[in-house]
Amino acid sequence: MKVRKALLSLASLLLCLPASGMRPVADADTAATVVRPVFAAYTLEYGSAHLTDTYLTPLRYEGWHAGFDYQRYQAMRFAPRDWTMCLHMNLSVDKTDNPARNASMWDIMLSADWGMMRRFRPLPGLTLAAGASTGIELGCLYNPRNGNNPASAKAAWTVNLTGFASYSLRIWRLPVTFTYQPTLPVTGVFFSPDYGELYYEIYLGDHSGLTHCAWWGNYFRLDNQLSADLHFGSTNLRLGYHGTVFSSKVNHLVTNRFTHALSVGVSGEWMSVNPRKGLPRKVRMISALY
Amino acid sequence: MKSTLSIISALILSAFMSSCHDVREYADDPRGNFEALWTILDEHYCFFSQKDIDWDAVYDTYARRIGPEMTGEELFIVCADMLDELRDGHVNLSAAFNTSYYRKWWSDYPQNFSLRLIEESYFNFNYRQSSGMLYGILRENIGYIYYGSFANPVGEGNLDNVLYFLKNTQGLIIDVRDNGGGDLTNVRTLVSRFITRPTVVGYISHKTGPAHDAFSEPMEITYNPADIGRIRWGKPVIVLTNRSTFSAANNFASVMKLLPGVRLVGATTGGGSGMPYSSELPNGWGVRFSACSMLDAEGRSTEAGVEPTEGCVVDMDPLQALSGKDTILEFALDLLQNPR
Repeated sequence: MKVRKALLSLASLLLCLPASGMRPVADADTAATVVRPVFAAYTLEYGSAHLTDTYLTPLRYEGWHAGFDYQRYQAMRFAPRDWTMCLHMNLSVDKTDNPARNASMWDIMLSADWGMMRRFRPLPGLTLAAGASTGIELGCLYNPRNGNNPASAKAAWTVNLTGFASYSLRIWRLPVTFTYQPTLPVTGVFFSPDYGELYYEIYLGDHSGLTHCAWWGNYFRLDNQLSADLHFGSTNLRLGYHGTVFSSKVNHLVTNRFTHALSVGVSGEWMSVNPRKGLPRKVRMISALY
Repeated sequence: MKSTLSIISALILSAFMSSCHDVREYADDPRGNFEALWTILDEHYCFFSQKDIDWDAVYDTYARRIGPEMTGEELFIVCADMLDELRDGHVNLSAAFNTSYYRKWWSDYPQNFSLRLIEESYFNFNYRQSSGMLYGILRENIGYIYYGSFANPVGEGNLDNVLYFLKNTQGLIIDVRDNGGGDLTNVRTLVSRFITRPTVVGYISHKTGPAHDAFSEPMEITYNPADIGRIRWGKPVIVLTNRSTFSAANNFASVMKLLPGVRLVGATTGGGSGMPYSSELPNGWGVRFSACSMLDAEGRSTEAGVEPTEGCVVDMDPLQALSGKDTILEFALDLLQNPR
């Protein structure tokens, strides 16, 4: 028991959960204390990237993609059985070459979004959720071959449709949960220089026309994650696929970014418990994802 | 519920189908590379109208010379010839075996400069050097700075030391002959020592679309004087120029010429007022070209060069050079000693 408590405390420290999310709440229906464990997943991904940015080059570059992905899900405090919140962060690096393989282009991208989803459980073992999120994406494509236009900065704040479908089953005797999580920005604002505008001009003070309202016609991004959590005890081995489709066209400038990656990492449900007080006698766990 | 899901799915699918934007692709063969080069220039080059270039006619002329069996060398020659039609020193085609240059902007003019002559006849090789600048005091108590490339960073501390060393001279000559340009931030750093208030030094305009006449409104470029505590120069200044004063150095000449107390002496500069932009062809060749037009403080283009101050057009006399005299420098020395 002591070991379990210590592990739980350690997990809570690692997760750095906000205080409000850690406190158990009373369930009015059952009079049991509701505990909302945090589902977190940390994965590394590696795969292929395809980049085109006509501000830098009209050619399609191809190469590798690598990234780190963090997901955090937790049932909402106000209606824990029906609502889930999610935090998703991803840091990725792409290194690609032109068709002639005599020039390279790098891409570094950081995205973070937070959202809320309404959950449904239409069948045993199946959980569906749909909702909205908001987030930012910041990054830069860099082509060292170019003199005065070596970089194309990317920045966006978007409001997204998001959700997940999660299905738990046993394969042989091993519990496995398959999850599909798409995120689709619907609107927002994003940055783009003008057609032939050099960043030097922006540096000199020409800040007009740099922000644009996003809609599917000029800014399309679809993030797909498919994962399988293999439950080995309290920690899961997560295997999956992560694909992104991004295409924007504004000021006659087109950026296309497609990545496909396999991912591997760990996931699990953790909760924060005060080692001195322990868990209340009557507890009702509400998982965020399953 | 079912219908809602169907609608959402249909919307997402239609968005996916319609929102991946196509980029025109070119084959990596002579025709494809030629078409790509012509199109890149057609959509981005900024001086078609100013130079009265019929780019469609240029296509007709050079497309006939493209054949499916031509070698890379042969294709390069045709493409380089086509780029020469732009008459622009900022336009280059770069392959692994060659880089094309339009050289007539300086090769058809006298060079009007010999650094060796300055070093030997005027300083007896006893000059100082700092941060890309060669400097010293000429025998008539005139300060002299030779700055050969704006690609060499100019440090504020270096400038303080140079100007402090020259503080007791009666005037300053800044020689930017054979200066092929570099970084415009170095122009700003240098000019800031010769102004006392925020000064509009020019305008910049970029293309807003592929059309030849699609340009943004020119935006003012304002330079601020050097920070308080830095040494500023208030005595007369002469800037020496030749045809090989190009790009950022051309910009420096255009800025300095319009400052009070500054005169340009020598020959018309080489121009190069377009900020270069880079792109590439399917076969991996790089192409560089003028994409943003810079104007002087009076709104005039300096792509064809900056003329010396009225009455200050001087060429270097080769015979006098043989006897150790730089007639452009001599003219400037005389002007500073005997202002007209």
